[in-house]
Amino acid sequence: MTIKIAVIQFPGANCDLDAVHVLRNVVGVDTSLVWHNHFKEANFDGVILPGGFSFGDYLRAGIIAAHSPALDEARIMLKDGRPILGICNGFQILIEAEFLPGALLQNESLKFVCKWVNIKVINNRTAFTHKMKKDDVLAIPIAHGEGRYYTDNLKELEENDQIVFKYSTEDGSFKSEANPTGTLENIAGICNIEQNCVGLMPHPERASESILSPKQTTHGRIFFESMIDFIKRRLT
Amino acid sequence: MTKVKLNGEEVSVEMPKEEFEKVKELLNREPTITELGGFDVMWSEHCSYKSSRPKLKLFEDAEANYDYVLAGPGEDAGVIDIGDGYALAFRIESHNHPSAIEPYHGAATGIGGIIRDVLCMGVRPIALLDPLRFGRLAGNSHAQWLFKYVVKGIADYGNCTGIPTIGGEVEFDDSFENNCLVNVACIGLGTIEDFKHAPSRAYNPGDYIILMGGSTGRDGIHGVTFASRTLTEMSEADRPAVQIGDPFTKKMIIEATLEAVKTGYVRGLKDLGGGGLTCATSELTGDGNTGANIELRKVFTAEPGMTSYEIMLSESQERMAFIVKPEGLETVLNVFRKYEVAHAVIGKTDDSKVLKVFDGDELVVNIPAKALSVSPTFKRQEKRPDYLDQLLAQPTPEPSKQIEEIIEMLIASENICSKEWIYRQYDHEVGVRSVVKCGDGDSGVLRIIGTNKFIAASVGVNSKHCYLDPYEGAKGGLVEICGNVITTGAKPMAMVNCCNFGNPEIPESFWYFSKAVEGMNDFCRSLKIPIVGGNVSFYNEDEVTKTAIKATPQIMIVGLIEGYENVITLPFKKAGNDILILGETKAELGGSEYHSVIHGIEGGIPPKVDEDKIKVRWDFISALYDKKFIKANHDVNKGGFIITIAEMCFKNKLGADLNLSRYNANDLRDDELLFSETVGRFIIETEPASLNDILLLASEFKVSVTKLGVILNQPKILIKGLKNQEISLDINKLKDLYDSTIPRLMDI
Repeated sequence: MTIKIAVIQFPGANCDLDAVHVLRNVVGVDTSLVWHNHFKEANFDGVILPGGFSFGDYLRAGIIAAHSPALDEARIMLKDGRPILGICNGFQILIEAEFLPGALLQNESLKFVCKWVNIKVINNRTAFTHKMKKDDVLAIPIAHGEGRYYTDNLKELEENDQIVFKYSTEDGSFKSEANPTGTLENIAGICNIEQNCVGLMPHPERASESILSPKQTTHGRIFFESMIDFIKRRLT
Repeated sequence: MTKVKLNGEEVSVEMPKEEFEKVKELLNREPTITELGGFDVMWSEHCSYKSSRPKLKLFEDAEANYDYVLAGPGEDAGVIDIGDGYALAFRIESHNHPSAIEPYHGAATGIGGIIRDVLCMGVRPIALLDPLRFGRLAGNSHAQWLFKYVVKGIADYGNCTGIPTIGGEVEFDDSFENNCLVNVACIGLGTIEDFKHAPSRAYNPGDYIILMGGSTGRDGIHGVTFASRTLTEMSEADRPAVQIGDPFTKKMIIEATLEAVKTGYVRGLKDLGGGGLTCATSELTGDGNTGANIELRKVFTAEPGMTSYEIMLSESQERMAFIVKPEGLETVLNVFRKYEVAHAVIGKTDDSKVLKVFDGDELVVNIPAKALSVSPTFKRQEKRPDYLDQLLAQPTPEPSKQIEEIIEMLIASENICSKEWIYRQYDHEVGVRSVVKCGDGDSGVLRIIGTNKFIAASVGVNSKHCYLDPYEGAKGGLVEICGNVITTGAKPMAMVNCCNFGNPEIPESFWYFSKAVEGMNDFCRSLKIPIVGGNVSFYNEDEVTKTAIKATPQIMIVGLIEGYENVITLPFKKAGNDILILGETKAELGGSEYHSVIHGIEGGIPPKVDEDKIKVRWDFISALYDKKFIKANHDVNKGGFIITIAEMCFKNKLGADLNLSRYNANDLRDDELLFSETVGRFIIETEPASLNDILLLASEFKVSVTKLGVILNQPKILIKGLKNQEISLDINKLKDLYDSTIPRLMDI
């Protein structure tokens, strides 16, 4: 049994090659970079929507890519429980395509922000977090201008355990200084009710090799290792 | 503007009358209006380097003298061989005039242009760096507006294209009030094979010429001639000459170009920048010793009704010209179709050595392919400015403030304070190569995935020093920027420069350019650093106030590190370790931040460079690296070495206990010792156990090394051994001052 992962290349994606590099060379899984119009779900066990500026994000971040045929294919995967991860622009696309609830607004500072931050694991039962411990604090970078999560149904999100990560300080508290964008309740990432689809603003592919991390951590790798493990369990 | 008679009608052109006569002589007839437009643009200062070329000849032999240089000056970008089959391409250029009028799009299209220059070497752009100059920010809403939107223009364009901005440099000074400088640099990485596939020449008759990317519109027509004039109040009316950038299309062009090059069917590649289609087609055929037939109506335009003159001269962004082997045409077109980028086969190369452009049946251009690139050159007059003697004689006044207060003012000053406000807006991580990130080293360091090699890159120069002495200032810039690369563990490999000066027709302004070029040339020859490319921006001069910018020969250095274990960062690592200073301090306060921030003067004696000493010092550092003695390294720069030490304390909240009594061989005043900007000094952290070995090695190398003190576990700097008093500084307070200046001025 070989596990096959697709990284979708939307026009304007720019973290696609980074995700492919980590999956192939760091995690060691068979990964294809697939042009969005060519994507066929039947060939893959899991899919990553990478970061970037799909279609330039000219209309609104992620909205045009959300109408790509690739999302129709991904919707089949969503329904049958295969893992789907949206990173940064990929998260914006998942929201616009209504795989995930809520909205991502412009950062409170009105500026793009690129920095290493800490996120705390709130839900460790999703396809991408089940190898993490609840309340683990992960070091991971963000780089976006529109990442302020908002929803009118916070209560529902909490009740369904759909908040996966929150920005925190290094010791795990949710102080406002730990919130880099003014996002609601420090929310950094969420999942669907079935927990096979996760979207987050931070970049796990940039946090998977110690050489890139200010503190030599490799927390990003756990996302992909969880996914592989999740697929193996599904298949057996 | 000159008025000339063309086929019986009076036309305005930028070129002087003598050049118009030369065009007629070259063609043996009167040019058509489209041809004349082509000459007018291609012979402008910006495209032809007609004032600077005689001087820049000094730089021309890098390819002959260094076996690892694959492409030198004159190409779209310099290219070096870094081993393991990889080539690195890099270039820097200016986008000053457009940015002064429209900072957002001016800066963004500057990034767009420099990306194309690197891309057309057949390699993937992997990093951007941007040195900038503005008027002083405090109380100056115009400078704040320019600064804010230049940074946003760079951020939006670079971030969207997925190329990390890994470094840059900025100075704020009154002389840039009406002429801000926006210089942009790009580094590309590819295999040597990729680079060889994509020469900027059409050397084979019978190949197809394809135009790909954005459509050709009326924006930017005469952008080139516009950049070769001084700015006037009328320049606001030039706004249509500033192009609009489209980073999304650029991203598609990057991917489509790289995939097309990989097919092996591309025989030549050129970006469309200044001079548009005229420049691209004439340079491709002229340099390739071929000719071409171009069918103008095949060019896809942004609007109907464009004349042949407009189509040939449009500087619309995001366009590339491909020379494609006939048998590969469909394969290459299919790549463009996949990425949904607009494209058209606009002509074919031939062996006529003539560039013919047809507008329907009408032949609108019919000129020898090389004619456009044989612009006349000017021997400009140069004269040392009279005001310099008086400036250089300015003494350093006795300080009226306490040393602590001076250090606090310096660290909070616009030119020294943290530039985090800028680099937080740049995606400096995309590409998963950034090993040393903004703020952690004097240079950004990128890994080359698949190897154990790392590249370091830094850019900058000290404009205040250059104003007082352009020859020593340019050399000092090289010492500093090479030093920035060396502190991260790298060996400087090659240099590119961007010369920003005033009006070359004014002898005093041209003198600055001439001396700076001589300084760069002399230094690079004695330190064996190839100069692989450059760009010149003249006319950075305000016609209304008659003020030129301070001379700014921006220098970019790319260095190479072998092995991750040899990558060094600047923060102090461990309390108890020794703090050493390498190099002596001289009374060189001319053009220092101390003079300008504390005393409000610009003069004095600026730092002088001793190449022999610098060379030995670099060799010494390299020997210390070999023995793994250096734990942190930071070059001493603006504000002097206490500022350097404070910056090294910040990240890990450490401190320093210093005794300067053994470090004052020249018996300087306290303020001279602390705030002098003598170039080529380094502050290094070492372990106490290696001190004796280091001092032994130092006497072998005959370099000056002094232990200044030790790293403290508390956030304070204690300074003993000064003439007047002991000093205690609070690192937390200094850090607050360092961090808050730009946000306080900008985030209102």
